[in-house]
Amino acid sequence: MEDIDNIEEDEFGFSRNYFLAKELGGSSKRSARKLSDINLVDEQELRETAFNIETKHEKEITELLNDYKTMYPKWVFELRCGFGLLMYGFGSKKGLLEDFASSSLTEYSVVVINGYLPSVNLKQVLLAIAELLSEQLKSRRSSGSLSKGQEAFPPRSVDDILSFLYGSQSEDKDCFICVVVHNIDGPALRDPESQQTLAQLASCSHIRIIASIDHVNALLLWEKKMVHKQFNWLWHHVPTFAPYKVEGVFFPLVLAQGSTAQTAKTAAIVLQSLTPNAQNVFKILADYQLSHPDEDGMPTEDLYSASRERFFVSSQVTLNSHLTEFKDHELVKTKRNSDGQECLNIPLSSDALRQLLLDLSQ
Amino acid sequence: MAPSTSVADPQPSSTTDSFNSNAAAENDIRPFFVLHKASSGSKPTATVKAKRRIESPSPKLAKKSEIESVEEEDGQFFSTLRLKVFETVWSKIENTIQDVLRDSNSKVFSGVHNWICESFESVRSSGALSLSEAVRSYPVLSQPSSKQLFTALVLTRNLEMVDDLSTFEDLGLHLKSQGCHVAKLSSMDFSAKNGVGGCLRGLLRQFVMPTIDVADVTVLASWYRENGNHKNPVVIIVDDTERCSGSVLSDLILILSEWAVKVPIFLIMGVSTAHDAPRKILSANALQRLCASRFTLSSPAERMDAVLEAVFLKPCSGFTVSHKVALFMRSYFLCQDGTLTSFVKTLKIACLQHFSLEPLSIMLEHFCQDNQLPGEGTGLLTEATMKHAFDLPSVTRNKITRSTCEMLPQFLLDLQRMPNPWSIVVLCIYEAGKFDKLRLLDIFCETLDPEARYLKYFAPSAILNSQSHVSGRNSVIRRVLRKLRDLSPAQLSSLLKSWESLTAEFSEINEKVMELHPFMRNVEAAGQRPGLPTSPKKHASRSHSKLEKELKAMTDKISAVIEFMLREYMKPVETVPFNEILCFKNVDKLQSALLGDPRGRIQSDLLESHSILNCLCCSQRGTTLLPSMHDTSILYALAQEHADVINLHDWYQSFKTILIPRNSKAKSKSKTTSKSKKRKERCEEPEPPAEASIQARFCRAVMELQIAGLIRMPSKRRPDFVQRVAFSS
Repeated sequence: MEDIDNIEEDEFGFSRNYFLAKELGGSSKRSARKLSDINLVDEQELRETAFNIETKHEKEITELLNDYKTMYPKWVFELRCGFGLLMYGFGSKKGLLEDFASSSLTEYSVVVINGYLPSVNLKQVLLAIAELLSEQLKSRRSSGSLSKGQEAFPPRSVDDILSFLYGSQSEDKDCFICVVVHNIDGPALRDPESQQTLAQLASCSHIRIIASIDHVNALLLWEKKMVHKQFNWLWHHVPTFAPYKVEGVFFPLVLAQGSTAQTAKTAAIVLQSLTPNAQNVFKILADYQLSHPDEDGMPTEDLYSASRERFFVSSQVTLNSHLTEFKDHELVKTKRNSDGQECLNIPLSSDALRQLLLDLSQ
Repeated sequence: MAPSTSVADPQPSSTTDSFNSNAAAENDIRPFFVLHKASSGSKPTATVKAKRRIESPSPKLAKKSEIESVEEEDGQFFSTLRLKVFETVWSKIENTIQDVLRDSNSKVFSGVHNWICESFESVRSSGALSLSEAVRSYPVLSQPSSKQLFTALVLTRNLEMVDDLSTFEDLGLHLKSQGCHVAKLSSMDFSAKNGVGGCLRGLLRQFVMPTIDVADVTVLASWYRENGNHKNPVVIIVDDTERCSGSVLSDLILILSEWAVKVPIFLIMGVSTAHDAPRKILSANALQRLCASRFTLSSPAERMDAVLEAVFLKPCSGFTVSHKVALFMRSYFLCQDGTLTSFVKTLKIACLQHFSLEPLSIMLEHFCQDNQLPGEGTGLLTEATMKHAFDLPSVTRNKITRSTCEMLPQFLLDLQRMPNPWSIVVLCIYEAGKFDKLRLLDIFCETLDPEARYLKYFAPSAILNSQSHVSGRNSVIRRVLRKLRDLSPAQLSSLLKSWESLTAEFSEINEKVMELHPFMRNVEAAGQRPGLPTSPKKHASRSHSKLEKELKAMTDKISAVIEFMLREYMKPVETVPFNEILCFKNVDKLQSALLGDPRGRIQSDLLESHSILNCLCCSQRGTTLLPSMHDTSILYALAQEHADVINLHDWYQSFKTILIPRNSKAKSKSKTTSKSKKRKERCEEPEPPAEASIQARFCRAVMELQIAGLIRMPSKRRPDFVQRVAFSS
């Protein structure tokens, strides 16, 4: 009974705070001061300074992380018992998880997924895991009982890879691959399909997931079947207060007014995750923009014919799918030029663009 | 590998830097990468016998026998032996649970199978088809009855599907073992995106071969005619009908029903809402093709009681939980989830935590194995563990010392004694409670109470004066006692019979139960008299009052027996010495592992960062914000003062006020123009953070709050405001 009362009490407190805040917003007049009243520093300077902020309480954070090290054996035990670990609490848990994996999970293969990146191709991840697993199972069995058909990679679809993962059986319960997922609630993994795929992956007997979440509402990503049967989470509250350095790269700075403009670095990361053909299409566009700095951009038809000539796309449909990808990640913007033609434009300065092309060709 | 050594060694550089070295920086921006492959040297061997220790601090220890290494582990108990015992114990519990569930479903399963057999016979009697006939694309028969699709609606009586997934899996296995061809489809196969082709493909993959990539029913038909496949029925199980796309399911039903004569298909649909659910999702056309039968599964609460009885009250693994843990599990089941799956998961976590917290838990192995004296378990008890054993609270409380060490086997024997008297008592009360539809879960939780608070209901005043104990409103013992008075003679007699069989193995209680028989006979005798047709009215009323009197005497006697059982034999496991070996007690650990609270905890992390970081500089702060605090903490604390939207300008200014040391505060407050700021910064002496630095820190703190999902960024409509999304409780 007491528990029920406590829960009700909590919920009451929550709603009370919510309504208090709402009331406050209604009764007192909202401050009308503008952001532009602050003497904002130059965006470039802001970015540089933000990159070099020294971490407060570095000593305490180190001690905190060292405290967590005493938990490592317990975490390994939990993984071996068949649970998945879910880490939450304020602060970047990237360093903690990778330290745990590289110091305590040396007996197992470890694959790391960076869920905080704007795009993660889960099929490629699954493929890599399947390859690792088949390699591992093969080396474990003296007589290779894996049939040729099972080894033939790459299979056609995600389902095929998953059924391979389900199908591979080994008597040794302690033979598994650990998959570390930084920000399983990250932007690239937030959609239901990705979560379903991850859940199916987690329910394979040879896979253990160690994941971190940062968003307060991350729980909403999963239904009961996923929580209890597939991920089989054990929660660990491990606030680290470490800065979200890598995780924050893709977030705009609130005080940078033109923050919609992408930096060359984030653009490069997005492009690297795309197919080579898509990258080549982007390069054509970038070359055109550099050689025609005064124009509004490259007409879509021109891009199509140029890409087709070099066999980067086979049809308008493929080009459109590339363009959609570019637009989604704000790599490309469309506008109409004076002739009414639709033009594609990369919202980067010429210098940044040159740097980007250099990065891509490496 | 040994974490203890790395803890002892101070980190040479700052943690964040060492964690994010340059080599790793490249990995940060790759979508995924292989951190390392399984080291070949220490690769675990396939045999479990080879006891490998995962964190042996030095190679010389690993060579020693397991017993010695347990001794030398010095607080690090996560050995392979422990994992092995955990696996033994848990597999025992898991198998028990599976058996219970199989038993509870077996009636429905065999019902479904019989229904399939009968219907299959009726289809076959209408004439078998040759291969060429069967693969033809037009229907062979055109009567409407030939297009009927036999369908079983299995009512799960539980809106939450998660429990029933395994039920349907078991059903599939059961039917397979009986020779049926079984395929299982779920709502994922019935997505509007893939259409009916997707689920046909899924079916063919399961029936014909796993690599097939066509969606053609003729493939199914020709497969069915091959290799004697046609001797057995084809069963398709759809476990979560309500979540399927109605149009796709309707299409599939229409297609399959067209082929019903050639391939006799039986559709089993799991229905979790009500039996008319198919009417709500299927098209009228498809509904007409269904020839439905209905089956009903047992409810989650019934299954829960059966599981509880098998795991905790009948001889099982020996593992058990304390009163507090049981209460938590009960409230979790009732308030949070209501599924058996989560209850089982809770139990598994409790078991896991027990093994990771209690070194002596490895002795549970001997409780698990039948016909083995626990005395042999003491062979594992080395000096270190013995010391631990005699430091257990239950041992010191009972003033057992090392001198009585030879008694240890006896204590262990007591712990292991099954049937345990208290489990018999619980089951007896459960029998009595069944008349009031009481749940075993409630009885179990109340009777586990080590303080035996339930005994107060036996005071005569408590029964009469029902209003006096408001706190005991929901007490099961009280309800049992009250219900006893309403029981009919027949019910009392059946209660007596069930008690008799429950206590058969325990003579002390059995004797008391037997003493009730003369009273029962009196009641029966008194009850029979008014039934005589010749008895006059006067006699009847007199004998009626006699019956009442006898009944009263009987119920008083029964409650006396209940009281006797509770007082004398209801010794909850927590009161027994050495119970820590079996009994998991740490409810906080269980709760935090089972139920993360990211919403509450992340906010409290931010508001109480100093207590987590344990820094000297900020812990003395009281209610004021200090510039030394974590930036995001400061900003979030400031956000608490705002309404549901926060003016970025004001927020920034107050953030800046905190960061700039006290003596400059007045100036910065009064003058906000850029000129005055610059002048102020020039004349400030103790290096106030530069404007750019404050702004950058502000930006980063806002970004971190955004990552945590606590605020929403300014929209185009409201460019100067961020919105608060979470409100701390």
